[in-house]
Amino acid sequence: MADRLKGRNAVVTGGGRGIGKAVALALAEEGANVVVCDIGGAVDGSGVDKTPADEVVEECKKLGVKAIAQCGDVSKFADAEAAVKACVDNFGRIDIVCNIAGIDRPKMIWNMSEEEWDQVVAVHLKGTFNFIRNAAPLMREQRYGRIINTVSEAFTGGPSHLNYAAAKGGIATLTYGAARELGRYGVTCNAICPRAWTRMTADDKVIEGIKKRIAAGLMPADQLDRMMNELADPSYFAAFVAYLASDEAANVNGQIFFVSGTELGHWTQPVVENKVTRDWKKEGPWRFDELVKLVPEKLLVGYVNPAPPQPEEKK
Amino acid sequence: MADRLKGKNAVVTGAGSGIGKAVALALAAEGANVVACDLGGSTDGKGASAEPANETAEECKKLGVQAVPAFGDVSDFKAAEGMIQACVDNFGRIDILCNVAGIDRARMIWNMSEEEWDQVIAVHLKGTFNMSKHACVKMRQQRYGRIVNTISEAWVGTVGHVNYGAAKGGIASLTYAIAWEMGRYGVTCNAICPRAATRMTMGPEVLEGYKKRVESGLWSQERYEEVTHVATPDYLAVIPAFLCSDEAAHINGCIFGAAGAFFSYWAPAHESVIFGRDWDKYGPWTWEEVAKCVPTLLKGYVNPAPPEEEKKK
Repeated sequence: MADRLKGRNAVVTGGGRGIGKAVALALAEEGANVVVCDIGGAVDGSGVDKTPADEVVEECKKLGVKAIAQCGDVSKFADAEAAVKACVDNFGRIDIVCNIAGIDRPKMIWNMSEEEWDQVVAVHLKGTFNFIRNAAPLMREQRYGRIINTVSEAFTGGPSHLNYAAAKGGIATLTYGAARELGRYGVTCNAICPRAWTRMTADDKVIEGIKKRIAAGLMPADQLDRMMNELADPSYFAAFVAYLASDEAANVNGQIFFVSGTELGHWTQPVVENKVTRDWKKEGPWRFDELVKLVPEKLLVGYVNPAPPQPEEKK
Repeated sequence: MADRLKGKNAVVTGAGSGIGKAVALALAAEGANVVACDLGGSTDGKGASAEPANETAEECKKLGVQAVPAFGDVSDFKAAEGMIQACVDNFGRIDILCNVAGIDRARMIWNMSEEEWDQVIAVHLKGTFNMSKHACVKMRQQRYGRIVNTISEAWVGTVGHVNYGAAKGGIASLTYAIAWEMGRYGVTCNAICPRAATRMTMGPEVLEGYKKRVESGLWSQERYEEVTHVATPDYLAVIPAFLCSDEAAHINGCIFGAAGAFFSYWAPAHESVIFGRDWDKYGPWTWEEVAKCVPTLLKGYVNPAPPEEEKKK
């Protein structure tokens, strides 16, 4: 056991399995005490099971740290409050929050139900807010804290689960915002954008879905092969999260990192790439004819339509 | 009246005032029929009034198009369906959807109530989903549609209202995803990042808040001047109207900055500086490796809010 996080106390959501479990163990490995939060449900959010959280608690303890299980629902404000409080009550204070809990209920927009939208946004986006909101006053007061959220490449586009994508886009911005608000108090907020072999990314149903999308031309033909080659177990990059949670990363704030067994990367923020300015008092409102010229010539230089119109298939 | 949108039918949310009203009138000026949706509440989402939507509908009619008001709450899935259906029932079909409705309830994260978070996310993010979902069902069948969403520069990080920022970040991703899913059916989805003088951006309370930010050092004086010296929304309204036209058939999944003083294109977040390796051979990343890689990953990075010494009380 190393001791770079010795004396630190962490809350890890989704800590029962997959990426959350790997992160909980990586923090424990470095000496942090851990509150393992996991409702123990299925990938689609159904069901409850205390076993996964309990098992990870036992594994953490074997590494020589204190650990307790919490089986609340991250999308419930009061459950998040209870998990943060459990960390303070059991270990004395809260230094680290890792928001990893997530579910997926993919559907194209024209088929997506209100419930599918609500549930995915609630678990990811509201869940992340709930934990930050409850930890922030304590971290601000003690002038120390590390928050690490989880986003996904889906936040810059892609078909078939825009509930998930929108939630992740919201978390990206929440990360930027919380970093700016809390940074001056010694609290950092960053996010990882992971690619790993978990039950959410690589069970039989997912692989079947990818095959279908390749067949429909929605994904490139080598998508599945690439995925198989690239997907390592989440334990391969869990040290990255532990690093972000450490004192060494005190000046890393508001950033999103791509992490996998194969690659480490940095996601740069959206930027204004091309801009036309003018004196509005002199020129008055923009005119349609101006735009028709400006857009292709000045703004969308090099742009490629991600999904151009296709002819209707004969039935 | 021009006729670049003649025969097209549009639904505009938040059409009773501000940017939404300017967009509704810009669409009407190009010949589109308009369902002017507005709950008629205040900028913090309180209250309701039929007057704003009614007035916009009347002004549209004066431009020679058909227009009807609608008063539903965009955050209500069923009400959203009703407003899309109103367009089909009144005008025959729906070609254009502009999601402009929004509210703001500013608070630092450590003070934000659950309700303040929920309400802002519901109106912006869920509202945009609700309207888009019901419109997409119809637009996919007819293989034609134009959706224009509204986000904000708060999308890339904001102080004082993370609820608003997160909702806008969600809408940005929603815009990309709808573009990917619907593009093949002749439907485009884009977004504008507007800067305009409205009651939300230039009301007396808001100006007070801006001044506080300058006083506390969060904003420079230049930033204040930049934010407060802006044109009214009618200066930029032709930008969404253009995105709703046939001329913009191949513009899809794009985010544009729109103001009287500028017109810009926002490139999406992208991945840069990648360390690659064979994971089978090397095993898990080690702490030392990570600590070595990060400074290179963050080349040129400046901490947006470095830790400060505690002020003496």
